[in-house]
Amino acid sequence: MDGGMVMETNYKLTLKIERYDPDTKESWVQDYQLEAGRILRFTDLFRKINNELDPTLAWNSSCEHAQCGTCAVMVNGRPLLACELLVENAVVQFGTTVFEIAPITVAPVVRDLIVDLEQAYERVNQAKPYIIKPVENFNKGNEYQISPRDLERYVDATRCINCFCCATACLSSQKTFLGPNAVLASIVRLMDPREEAKKERLKILYSEKGIYRCHTSKACSFVCPKEIDVAHFIALAKEGRFESEEGD
Amino acid sequence: MSGIFSISSTIKCDVLIIGAGGAGLRCAAEILEKRPGTDIVAVTKVANPQKSHTQTAQGGMAAVDPKDPVDKPVYHMFDTWKGSDCSADQNVIKKIVESGWEQTVWMENHGMHLSRDENGRVSKRTFGGHTLGFGETSAFRCVFEADRTGKGIMDNVWGEALKGGTSFINQAIATELLFTGDRCTGAVIFREKEGEFVVVLAKATVLATGGDGQIFKVTTNCRQNTGDGLAIILQSGLPVMDPEAVQFHPTGIVGPGILASETLRSVGGILRNKGLEPFMERYAPKMKELAPRDLVARAIETEVREGRGILNPDHNIEHVWIDLRHLSDYIHEVQIPEVSSFFKKFINLDPKKDLCPVRPSNHYQMGGIPTNEFGEIQKNSESLISGLFAVGECASASFHGFNRLGTNSLLELVTMGKVTGEKVVNCLDAEQPGRPKNAGEKTFSLFSGFMKQRGRDNLGQIREEMRILMTEKVGVFRTEEGISQALETLKELKERADKAALSSNSLIMNQDLIQRWELNNLLVVSMVTAQGALNRRESRGGHFREDFPERKDQFNHHTLAYMTEFGDVKLGERPIDMSIYEEKGEHYEKFGMIERKY
Repeated sequence: MDGGMVMETNYKLTLKIERYDPDTKESWVQDYQLEAGRILRFTDLFRKINNELDPTLAWNSSCEHAQCGTCAVMVNGRPLLACELLVENAVVQFGTTVFEIAPITVAPVVRDLIVDLEQAYERVNQAKPYIIKPVENFNKGNEYQISPRDLERYVDATRCINCFCCATACLSSQKTFLGPNAVLASIVRLMDPREEAKKERLKILYSEKGIYRCHTSKACSFVCPKEIDVAHFIALAKEGRFESEEGD
Repeated sequence: MSGIFSISSTIKCDVLIIGAGGAGLRCAAEILEKRPGTDIVAVTKVANPQKSHTQTAQGGMAAVDPKDPVDKPVYHMFDTWKGSDCSADQNVIKKIVESGWEQTVWMENHGMHLSRDENGRVSKRTFGGHTLGFGETSAFRCVFEADRTGKGIMDNVWGEALKGGTSFINQAIATELLFTGDRCTGAVIFREKEGEFVVVLAKATVLATGGDGQIFKVTTNCRQNTGDGLAIILQSGLPVMDPEAVQFHPTGIVGPGILASETLRSVGGILRNKGLEPFMERYAPKMKELAPRDLVARAIETEVREGRGILNPDHNIEHVWIDLRHLSDYIHEVQIPEVSSFFKKFINLDPKKDLCPVRPSNHYQMGGIPTNEFGEIQKNSESLISGLFAVGECASASFHGFNRLGTNSLLELVTMGKVTGEKVVNCLDAEQPGRPKNAGEKTFSLFSGFMKQRGRDNLGQIREEMRILMTEKVGVFRTEEGISQALETLKELKERADKAALSSNSLIMNQDLIQRWELNNLLVVSMVTAQGALNRRESRGGHFREDFPERKDQFNHHTLAYMTEFGDVKLGERPIDMSIYEEKGEHYEKFGMIERKY
C-alpha cells in the first residue's frame, strides 16, 4: 500500500526570471539552474533560490495554497498561481524544463516579480465589493432566507480571490475595462437578493469601463485558478439575466 | 548610521489598526457602524486585506442558534471550557458564546454567503469537541460557507471597512509602538513599496497582527505570520500570555503543511496507519476521529514514533493516511470540494481513489497579548495600558485556554473584533495626541543595526534551522532536556543572525530586509514560547510534556512572559477566571477543574 507514491524523481530546471531594480530602474532576465523533487511547487522553488542561490530575488506570496491569490505570476506566457504549480505538472503541461517567469501585467512592477496590487485593486474597489444598500429584512434579527437553488446560481462567482490572472489574460485593455474579476464582484451582488442598490450596480456594469469592453474571448474562464466560469457570468450580465427565472 | 533614516510624514487619525485580517476589520466595521465617518487607518503586511490569513479558514464558525430545539449556549460553554483543559477565562467564554448567533446574523445580513439548508436557512454541521448535553452526543453547531468560511468572513469585513471609508496602508509593517506616559498614541510604520517610515498618531491603536506559526517548520500559517505583534509588545516592555499554548492541527498535508480541515473527519474520513488500522479507536473509543485536535495530533505522532507511519521520500517526512475513498461523490464534490482538491493539486493524488498522507502541522497560538474581555491590553496582571487594544489570534482574552476547539477561532475573532470596536469608540472623544520626540529612534537603531553587518551567514538558513529546532524540541511532544537545548540554540541563532549581512541595503521592497526583521520577531517569540514551555512542568491542552504527562493544580493559572533583552525572560502569572463556577448557577459543577476525557 505504501509503495504507491514512493517515486523519487528529481528534475533539472532552468528558471529565466524577469528582474527589475527600482533603485537603478534596470530590468534584465536572470537564469537560475536548480534541481527539484517532483511535488515541489514554484513558490518552493523561489524560496530555494532565496535560500541557496540569490536572496535578492523578490516575489510575493501569503497563504501558499491557492486561497489568497498573492503569488500570481506568468509562467511561459500563462498567468497562474506559483503556489499550486507542481514541478512535475509544469514539465508535462509546458513540455519543457525551461521556464520563463515574469510578473503579471495588471499593474506597475515594484521589484522583480512583485507588482503594485494596490493599483490593480483600485478597479475592484470601483466595482464596490460589498452590499451597497441592503434590502429591508422583514425578519429582523434573523438571516435572510435564500434557497439553495438561488444561491447555486451565483455561489461560484463568490469564490473569486482577486488573483488577477483573468485580468492579465483578458484581451481588453486594463485602462479601458474594469476587468473580469472586478465586474464579477458587482455581478455577485446583482444576483444576490439582499442587494437593494441594483440600479447603481447596473450603472457600474454598463459604464464606460464596464462589460461592453469585454470581447468574449473567454480567456478569463480559461486561466482562472479557481476554475470559475467568469465568462458565463459576464454573459449573464450582458443579457441582464440576474434574477432567478421560472423553470431556470 | 541611523542618521540615514528619517520619518517622511506624520498621519493623524482616530484609530490605527495594525493587521487588517478578520478581527482587525470586524473591529473597523463596528467602529464605523457605531460612529460613521471615524477616521481609521488600517495597516497590513500583505498586498491587500483579502490576502490575510483569515482568508484560509475552512471549516466554519460555532454559534448556538436560539431556534435550535436541542442546543444551548451552556453546552457550548462547557465544550469550550473542557476543550481548553480548564484554562480559558469563563467570563470571556460566556460573553463570546452568548454572542455567537448575533454575530452570525450580522455577518449574514452584511452579505456573507453562508451555505443554506433546504428551507433557505443557514446550514449547520458537526465539528470535533462540540457536543449536546455535556458530552453526550455531537452538536450541529457550526455555520459555514462551504469549505471557505474564513474567506466569506474576510471578504465581508473588508467590504464593510472599505465601504465605511477606511484608509488602507498595504504592504507595510509596524516597527515600534509610541507611548506618551502610560497611553499608546500610535506607531511607526514602514511602507515597503515606498521604502518610507511614517508616524501614525491615533487616539486608539488596535493590534490585530495574527499568529506566529512560522516559528515552526511544518505549519498551516501564511508566510507573513511571524509573531510581529507579540514581538512589538515585548519590545515595549509589556507581557505576552501563555506563549507555550500552541495548537498542532492533526492533519496537515505532507509536505506543504496545508491544512486538511477537520471537516474531512467530520464527514467520515478515517485515519489509518501503515497496516491500514483505523487507530483512533484505540485512543478515543467514543469520539474517535472527532476527538479534540491535540488528542488526535498526539495519536498520529505516537503511531509514527512507534513505527506505524509511512515515509514520504520527496519531503522526507513520516505520516499516516486519511482515507476518504469510501465517501460518496456528493460529499467529495459538494461538502469538501476545495480541501479534497488540495490533495490533487499539491501532491497529485486523487482522494476518491488514493489514501492521502497527513501529519500534525502547527496551526494556532492560543496564547498572545493578554487582554481583558473588552480587548484592552494589560500592562501586568492588575492594570491596563490606555489607548491600546488587541484582537484576533495575536491576542489572548482568553477564550481558548490551552486548546482551541475547531470553529471557535472565527467566532472569537468576529466577536472580539466587535466588542473591542465598541470599546474603541469610547476613546474617540480624547484629544489627538502629539508626536513623541523619540518617535522612530528604536526603529532606526534596529534597521541600521541590520544594515551595518558584514558577516557571511545565510539568513534564510538560520530561519530554517530555527523552525526545525522548534518543531523537534518545542513541538507536539516536549521534554525538559529538549526545551533546554532549544533555549541554548536559540541564543546561538540570534548571535549568528545579528552578525549576518543583508544581501542589499535598499529600502524599496527589499524582501531580505523584511525577512531579517521577521527573523528577529520569530526568534523573540520562539524564546518566550520555549521558556513558557520549560516552566510549565505539567501537560495541559496543546502543551504536552512527556516528562510531566498529567495536568497539575499548581499550574492552574496563565503564564505571563516579559522579555526586553533577548534571552532574559521574566515570568509572571494571571489567574484563570472561573466566574461561571463561582456564581453557582445551574450546571456550575460542570465548570470546575474537570477531567478532560473524550
